Amino acid sequence: MASSSVEVKAPSNGGIPAQVIGVILRSYPLFLVAIAWEAVARAGWVQPVFLPPLSSVLASFPQLVATGEILGPLLTSLHRAAAGLAIAMTVGITLGFWMARSRWAKWLFDPLVALGFPAPKVAFLPIFILWFGIDHMSKIALVAITCVFPFILAAEAGARTVPRVQLWAAEMMGTPRFELLWRIVLPATLPSLMSGVRIAVPFSLVSAFTAEMIAGGGGLGGGLVYAQRFFETQTVFALLLVMLATGYLVDYGLLALRRRLLRWH
Amino acid sequence: MSGSRYDWLKRASAILPFIFALLLWQGLVSLQVVDPLFLPSPVRVGRSLFELVTADGFLLELATTSLRALGGLVLGAAIGVPLGTAMAVSPSVEGFANPLVKATYSLPKTALVPLFILWFGIGNVTNILAVALATMLPMIVYTYHAVEGAPKVLLWSARAMGTSEAGLLPHVLLRSALPGILTGLRIGLGFAFLIAIAAEMIAAKIGVGKLLFLYGENGAYDFMFAAIAAVVFVSYAADRGFSALSDHLLRWQEPAEGKA
Amino acid sequence: MTVLATREAVGSASVRPAKIVISGVTKRFQRRGDSFLALSAVDLDIAEGEFVSIVGPSGCGKSTLLYMLGGFVPASDGSMRIDGEPVSGPGLDRGVVFQEYALFPWLTVSQNIGYALDRSGRPRQERNEIVERYITLMGLRGFENSFPRELSGGMKQRVALARTFAYRPGILLLDEPFGALDAQTREIMQDELLRLWKTDRKTVVMVTHDVDEAVYLSTRVCVMSHRPGRIVEEFDIALDRSGSREEIVLTDQYRGIRNAVWMSVRRQVTESRTATA
Repeated sequence: MASSSVEVKAPSNGGIPAQVIGVILRSYPLFLVAIAWEAVARAGWVQPVFLPPLSSVLASFPQLVATGEILGPLLTSLHRAAAGLAIAMTVGITLGFWMARSRWAKWLFDPLVALGFPAPKVAFLPIFILWFGIDHMSKIALVAITCVFPFILAAEAGARTVPRVQLWAAEMMGTPRFELLWRIVLPATLPSLMSGVRIAVPFSLVSAFTAEMIAGGGGLGGGLVYAQRFFETQTVFALLLVMLATGYLVDYGLLALRRRLLRWH
Repeated sequence: MSGSRYDWLKRASAILPFIFALLLWQGLVSLQVVDPLFLPSPVRVGRSLFELVTADGFLLELATTSLRALGGLVLGAAIGVPLGTAMAVSPSVEGFANPLVKATYSLPKTALVPLFILWFGIGNVTNILAVALATMLPMIVYTYHAVEGAPKVLLWSARAMGTSEAGLLPHVLLRSALPGILTGLRIGLGFAFLIAIAAEMIAAKIGVGKLLFLYGENGAYDFMFAAIAAVVFVSYAADRGFSALSDHLLRWQEPAEGKA
Repeated sequence: MTVLATREAVGSASVRPAKIVISGVTKRFQRRGDSFLALSAVDLDIAEGEFVSIVGPSGCGKSTLLYMLGGFVPASDGSMRIDGEPVSGPGLDRGVVFQEYALFPWLTVSQNIGYALDRSGRPRQERNEIVERYITLMGLRGFENSFPRELSGGMKQRVALARTFAYRPGILLLDEPFGALDAQTREIMQDELLRLWKTDRKTVVMVTHDVDEAVYLSTRVCVMSHRPGRIVEEFDIALDRSGSREEIVLTDQYRGIRNAVWMSVRRQVTESRTATA
């Protein structure tokens, strides 16, 4: 370990940036876990139906992709998560801004938000199935209700902290009242909203997967439960890895987006 | 004295929105704007809830779910708080655990339920472990940031006043980290009920999650709504209770710092 | 009404007509059922091209008066007229420079300066020329594309002034404009403001707690009482401002006025102390 870190600092390095190597070196626990997993599975202490070797899970990917068990379901899940998220964002930001602006709205919605926020939203899924059927809409509704609360809180908290003088300055320089919302309030609230997005986006994926696991109807969650029922443990692990990677990549993308949008912050 | 009357009024006015919502709900059903099959009236839901609560079994199912949630939360905190503290104090622990935490943080924890069913079968172990894993990660992260962010001046002045290195942890670090740790616990509490119920809905023999899903499948919608109302109430009461407890524990905190 | 008529009569008798007429303006705030009087029957006429400073103990409501002139805060009683028209809201005829700068942090320096010009739909070419001129004038060259967070307090203040000057409001309302600056930067900015005022002679109303600043810059200084604020004393300042700062500040005339104003403010501060004690 020590000798390889010395090598990293050497300038001639086959074109791989030192930063990348540093990240790989710092992730050594991940490799340890992977090796331990492989060793335990191969030693035959546990049956493959409980823990297949990591190598065989990875090796099963080409076939799973070929039989359409990954990309199609992934797109289905992402579509549900994104649709629910879009609804939650629209409703949540509107409601949050309204609550920040009107004492009346604040009085009306505050107790309802306090009740809804800690509620385990997955319990509402049977209601949504009753109302919207077993297909897409009920799952999108679950995603929406799960994600709406972080948006309400972020929008309200953000809009409340917009300095009064910033609104005054905009008005004095000829901004019509109805433009204040998107010229001043929205950009000023953006940092707070981005924090809300970072909380809500993982929620959207989790609730889409969970709804699929409970109610079926395809998607990665549906595939996962299906594979478990037929004891296809390899597929269970493969789908878990896909979910993990999806969550990771989406969060990475969000961070990049945040850096871009909030350069001024 | 006028202050307490003001508080009382404020509290009473916070109930009015619920009454409005219930009246609106009842009105929609009574005026047949919505089909009572799809949305039973609050009166009928209330009656079903009364039946459920007085009948044998339902409270046991609700208690089972709550105990699974709380058991998992306690387990998650019992691992998460020490681990988060150790990560904040020791760079080598941090170097080892941080990549693992980062790699597993974005994994949807309910997705582990099918795997745990394979390993441990359907029942308490699967359920509690799923809750524990889901609550452990936020506990680690919040504890880590809270302990790591303990103001250096506090440490310096504690040392200057003769606190030993071993005494710093219980007397200064964990004390000053308490607000952050409690925030993590409150988030964990929300996750705990969610995961416990989701796991029961995916596969379980008993538990309120299983029950309300069954009511839905069998068309007993009055009871389904009643069971959901019970779940919402229990999780709300747990959240309020926890928040009152943490306000009490943090009564030394300056209001500007903001309570969780 | 009769009061207003005589005031206008007095105004027309003087050399220039009153640009701003404040008569009997009162402000009452409600907080948690309690109501308190912030301003009590303030009367003030300001002629075109005057530079009027309002000084007084903190909390006397001088900033409130300025915000009311800006049209952000309505008066509880009395009337405020600008060019004969009652003030009914913010307008491009008045430019406010806020104590907290109130720059838009998501816009760059040149976008901040051009904001009002964009709103008024000026041709692109003209807008860019004005922005460029103020960037040069305020010594902001090289920071056109910086965001406010990257600037020092003094530079933020320059941007705030440039932003307001750029759309050429007839009246400047300055709320403790240099309050957050260090002593050296403050003097530089004061001289810059004086230079700008000498070139285009806008009507300026400035609120400050700094007696030296008020006397150095203004043609008239109004001293306000502690709460509820009223104007208790006015000083006409007929200084020859053609020279440099040293030449002005070291004259006996300057020192005399400065001491008189300082004593007047001091009386208000001690009175407020005994009143609250």
